Amino acid sequence: MPYFDYKTLIPRTVIGVLIALFVIIPVFTTNVITISIFISSGIWAIAVMGFVLILRTGQFSMGQAAFMALGAYTSAILTIKLGMPFWPSFLLAGIVSGIIALIIGLVVLRVGGIYFSIITLAFGEVVRIFAQQMEGITRGARGLIPPMPPTIVLGGFEINFAAGPVPYYYFMILLVAITAVVFWRIDRSRMGGTFSSMAANQILAEHQGIHLMKYRVIAFTIAGVFTGFAGAYYANFLSIITPLMFGLWQSIQIMMMSIVGGISSIVGGALIGATILYTLGIYLSRLPIFNIQYLLFGAAVVLVLLFLPKGTGLVDLWGKFWHKVFREPEEYEMPEESEMAVE
Amino acid sequence: MPPAEIWIDGLVQSCIYMTMAFGMVLVFSILGILNWAHGQFYMLGAFVVYYAITAAGIPFPISLLISGVVVGGLGMLVEKFVIERLTSPGYGMLYVTVATLALMFFFEGAAGMAFGLMDKGLSTVLPGVLDLGSFSVSYQKIAVIIFTLVIMISMYIVLNRTKVGLAIRAAAQEPVAASLYGISVGRVSLIVMGIGCALAAMAGGIMAPVYTTNPFMGRIPMIMSLLAIIIGGLGSLTGAIVGGIILGFLNSVIAYHLSYVSEFVLFLLVIIILLVRPQGLFGAPLK
Repeated sequence: MPYFDYKTLIPRTVIGVLIALFVIIPVFTTNVITISIFISSGIWAIAVMGFVLILRTGQFSMGQAAFMALGAYTSAILTIKLGMPFWPSFLLAGIVSGIIALIIGLVVLRVGGIYFSIITLAFGEVVRIFAQQMEGITRGARGLIPPMPPTIVLGGFEINFAAGPVPYYYFMILLVAITAVVFWRIDRSRMGGTFSSMAANQILAEHQGIHLMKYRVIAFTIAGVFTGFAGAYYANFLSIITPLMFGLWQSIQIMMMSIVGGISSIVGGALIGATILYTLGIYLSRLPIFNIQYLLFGAAVVLVLLFLPKGTGLVDLWGKFWHKVFREPEEYEMPEESEMAVE
Repeated sequence: MPPAEIWIDGLVQSCIYMTMAFGMVLVFSILGILNWAHGQFYMLGAFVVYYAITAAGIPFPISLLISGVVVGGLGMLVEKFVIERLTSPGYGMLYVTVATLALMFFFEGAAGMAFGLMDKGLSTVLPGVLDLGSFSVSYQKIAVIIFTLVIMISMYIVLNRTKVGLAIRAAAQEPVAASLYGISVGRVSLIVMGIGCALAAMAGGIMAPVYTTNPFMGRIPMIMSLLAIIIGGLGSLTGAIVGGIILGFLNSVIAYHLSYVSEFVLFLLVIIILLVRPQGLFGAPLK
């Protein structure tokens, strides 16, 4: 039965139009800076999605940037030192990062809560120091320069990554789309429900027979794989990797992006938060007053937390907005006076 | 064996980490949050002391007290307007954590704008060294050690011999029962946040002559005192002191032997301690 439900149709249309707009942005502008900002925010959004997936199980990781570093260095070292072609090394970047996340998770996720956060923080710092000091492999603070992806010939088209940022943009959209679909499906599946139950009440979940450790490790590993891809792609796009690109402050930034965007939606919140905060960071750093960007960045995050309803992120405004627009007048049937009189 | 100067330096560092970790644990035990902006209060305290001495010409001990009062008041404002509004029931720890992380950026940016990014030295305060034959100690470092002793003893007296201390201990142990006995837990959290931030500020102020002052000086002491309270056990004041001593000496003695690998060893050590004994050295067993 065709059923025109405007309450879900209109929001979906708006989201669809927004997505379509993002896909055809290179038609309107090929300005390198604009496109680059979108590419970088898309990449950060992938990392943020990974963070939110871990958050779904009730843990917060403070070393997510370390997995970006692992992915970036794996891809670059495989291509530069071992002469591997680009695409296999890109795949391996995610896989290696995932395997390391699995090992770390198996060791570390026994202890939950704040201890997990601190251990991941320490792990992130260990990775950064390692990258800084192993100068033979990573060239330390001078940075590695990863090679460009090769030109792809598809039918009559030729996708040349050296020509400009547009091919990178479309590959970013592809990467974000794959990540978004995977994470969205996980969130909607039975496993997603298990994750939320673990976050809501750990003890109850354990007594229902949920193997806490198993699901935490699963979430951590999946997040590790996709964050590794994001890191490898980011390094490739910027064509430089230095240890300080993926430090503690970047992990903190990932946390902030997830909270500002809102953690009730795993995909939308990540995209909104990453785009807004990354763009804000870029534009603030252009202001002539020195150091004002830190001040305004911090102030913006605190204000979002304080003044959005119940401390949630921006994505929740969306639901509230549609709720306001389409709120049905609540109808109360007043009992008639005669009936009341009878009773 | 490292030379005596290294041990003295370790002692000075452990004094600072101890003072900061003490404040952080105090805040954690009442408010149930880790204050990530603690290192920035340390930095602000150092700046207050610097300007009190250079611009206003106030003597060093009094400017230390001033920095404690000013930054403690600032901490109270933060508690009142940010932390308290985000810790009401149903919020979870995540929002407060992110808010204090954002405050960290905020204070660093504000200090950078107001005071500039240059290193500011304060070497004119307490010049000279104490010659002890084979080695010598500068008076500034002796001042740090004496100051820490005074702070620790006075904190012991405040916590164990006064009514405020009794209220703080009661609220830390059982907030609901404490509020039933007429203790305003909200006011206790305000006081504790003020004390914690004042401790951090005075630690920063006493360190201003020893190292230089700049807007980013708070990061490393913050991470170190965080690791100290994790090693010592979250929520345990003894643990904070012992953890601070351990980390201070590790930082200087390992750095003497291994130079740059020392950070690596430090973080690895923290990971191992947490895996073997997640509750820390002095913490209560995990539920």
